[in-house]
Amino acid sequence: MKKGLMLVLLVFLTFLLSFAPNLFAEEGVTDTQIHLGQWGPQTGPAAAWGNVARGTGDYFKWINDNGGINGRKIVYHMFDDGYNPAKTKAGVKELQEGTGMFAWACGVGTSPGLAVRDYLAERNIPWVGPAAGSMHWVNPPQKNLFAVYPLYMGEAKALVKYAIEKMGKKRIAIAYLNDEYGKNGLRGALAELKAHGMEAVEQVSMEAKDSDLKPHVMKLRKSKADMVLMWTTVGHSARIVGISKAMQFAPQFMSTSTTSDFPLMMNITKGLWEGVITATLGELPGSGYPLLDKYKKEVFDKYAAKEERWGVFYYAGIIFTEPMIEGLKRAGRNLTRESFIAAMESIKGFKGIGPEVNFKPYDKNDMYSRQGASQTFLVQCLANGRAKQLTEWMDIK
Amino acid sequence: MDMKRDYYEDVQLMSSPVVIFWFTALIGVLYFFPLFVGSYYVYVANYIAINIIVVTGLNLLVGYTGQISLGHAGFFAIGAYGTVILMAKAGFPFLLALPCAAMVAAGFGFLLGLPALRLEGPYLAIATLGFGLTITQIIGRIELFGGRDGLHAPDITIGSWVLDTDKEFYYLLITLTILLLFFMRNLIKTKVGRAFIAIRDADIAAQTMGVNILYYKTLAFAVSAFYAGIAGGLYAFVLKFIEPEIFTLLMSIMFLAMVVVGGLGSMLGSIAGATLLCWLDLKLRNILDIPYIGDWLENLSKHWFSITGVSNIQYIVFGSIMVAIVLFEPLGLYGIWIRTKKYWRTWPF
Repeated sequence: MKKGLMLVLLVFLTFLLSFAPNLFAEEGVTDTQIHLGQWGPQTGPAAAWGNVARGTGDYFKWINDNGGINGRKIVYHMFDDGYNPAKTKAGVKELQEGTGMFAWACGVGTSPGLAVRDYLAERNIPWVGPAAGSMHWVNPPQKNLFAVYPLYMGEAKALVKYAIEKMGKKRIAIAYLNDEYGKNGLRGALAELKAHGMEAVEQVSMEAKDSDLKPHVMKLRKSKADMVLMWTTVGHSARIVGISKAMQFAPQFMSTSTTSDFPLMMNITKGLWEGVITATLGELPGSGYPLLDKYKKEVFDKYAAKEERWGVFYYAGIIFTEPMIEGLKRAGRNLTRESFIAAMESIKGFKGIGPEVNFKPYDKNDMYSRQGASQTFLVQCLANGRAKQLTEWMDIK
Repeated sequence: MDMKRDYYEDVQLMSSPVVIFWFTALIGVLYFFPLFVGSYYVYVANYIAINIIVVTGLNLLVGYTGQISLGHAGFFAIGAYGTVILMAKAGFPFLLALPCAAMVAAGFGFLLGLPALRLEGPYLAIATLGFGLTITQIIGRIELFGGRDGLHAPDITIGSWVLDTDKEFYYLLITLTILLLFFMRNLIKTKVGRAFIAIRDADIAAQTMGVNILYYKTLAFAVSAFYAGIAGGLYAFVLKFIEPEIFTLLMSIMFLAMVVVGGLGSMLGSIAGATLLCWLDLKLRNILDIPYIGDWLENLSKHWFSITGVSNIQYIVFGSIMVAIVLFEPLGLYGIWIRTKKYWRTWPF
């Protein structure tokens, strides 16, 4: 009887042990795999940003083909949300509760991100590198959310500072989109002007759907601005530059990092983007930065679809996820959400192809405990669509 | 088979005890549903229920009264913003804020109904389209409404009940949906409903018979907008965040597509149309996971339909299903249901 009981216990224990790695493993992590998710608009109004998610996918393929992370391969689950927050939330919940994601990467757009922010926070599911420089991610900071995109406010400050101190500009006007993105740029610019004892000579707001920008440019021209800072969409910025040229209004134009894809901008503006100064998200193509060249050769050339373009949006998908890969490496073989968050918090002075990334232990009163990147550098568009570097990386807190 | 033999048979809400039995069983299943499924399916059910409300209202306008609207996303937005602002800024409780916001939407519906007295067909479509686009532009420019930054929906509390999960919200939503469907069914069966149908079939004849066109056309717009307002108010709490860009023209078109695919002038059609199209919209991307067929479709998409190598085949399948339904069954899903019922009526003999 005793022997029989022992045999049953032994079989039961063996059965339990055979499942041990799975019984105690974290959601989305197995012995050989880590499941990571991302939403990205492949269709709909923001489809132009779809290459962020594709860039991440190709980067993960490269990581896997180079041995994975601590013996595990990344299983990447990307879905198209069409920039519709209801679909973002449905897709995130489906993957999270169906397959089980360990963490989420990037995710284009403020409103799609806000639709799932609380859901991820309530479950303490890590989310690294939302692809929008919104204050919503870090104000207030959340334990599970690590932002990599530099804040728009800081970028605007850096541009205005350069215009005043290095270029001696005295009359600065601002054209901005009437949304959170545009207003953050406006706030940063006004703060920097105030710090120099100046005021904007004109502030012109526009809606995303505005197509006739002549009245806006007329106001800018009337202000006799010698520098115009544009915090608008790619299309709006191109139109402002074009209409200004037609009106023989030729200030120094400056713009956000979202318009720093110079070949694209030169193409849209038929060469009028030459001379425009922008902030940047990361190292520049053709700058000779070794890691960027390596990604071009080993990631883009090898994995990207043949119609894909090696541009800022594509490799932004790498910039936003490099710190995540670093965190996964540091968390080691015993990968749990807690160990991953602790590893992310230990990242100091990390340099990939984007700005330097620094995180700190979670502090609900310090947004920089979760705002990892606070650097940019300024570039000017040349006639051939290449970029001339104007400054080194500078802190923009 | 749906022939009515006397007046009382025509106006009764449930046609037989069998219908009452199945209806009660369905309500029971709906209330127990969240106990057996994960939070994702509850979210999907919430999403579908909200669309059922708005499509039921739109079907009253399009299917029963013969008008058209391409601006229902505008009423939806008014409901969403109205509810959130009344709660967050004026301190209204949710159960008061929701109908108040819907009444504001109904007020706008009434105003939009006035030009409908002189417009019809494509002209009315353009007028309503303009309304839908304008409303989001106006909301985006008003700071009180959060401008383009949008607004966060506050937590819902009803007495001591805090509805902070999808499952808790589901019970409130499903109750409201059932009540609104009942109300609509009742409305259709009254003289008001018959006046709507008379206007749809021949408005001049209806007027000759004493139907007040001014009153009933504007009423149809107001009731339809009220439903859209209620649905919008609920939608804000499903997403927990709203901004003007959410309420697009595409949203209005999808509402109209749900009405047509479901079946014009049918409540069952509204429910079926909203359920099918919402389900396909959320789930069709999983078509790529089907063995062999998924791979074949993905290759087809990459080769012919996508310049970036990412599949978008689900939208082509989605569109094809809608075209096929409208082409082969002009009465929509309701027509398919009627035919199925007829086919099985004499079974097993």
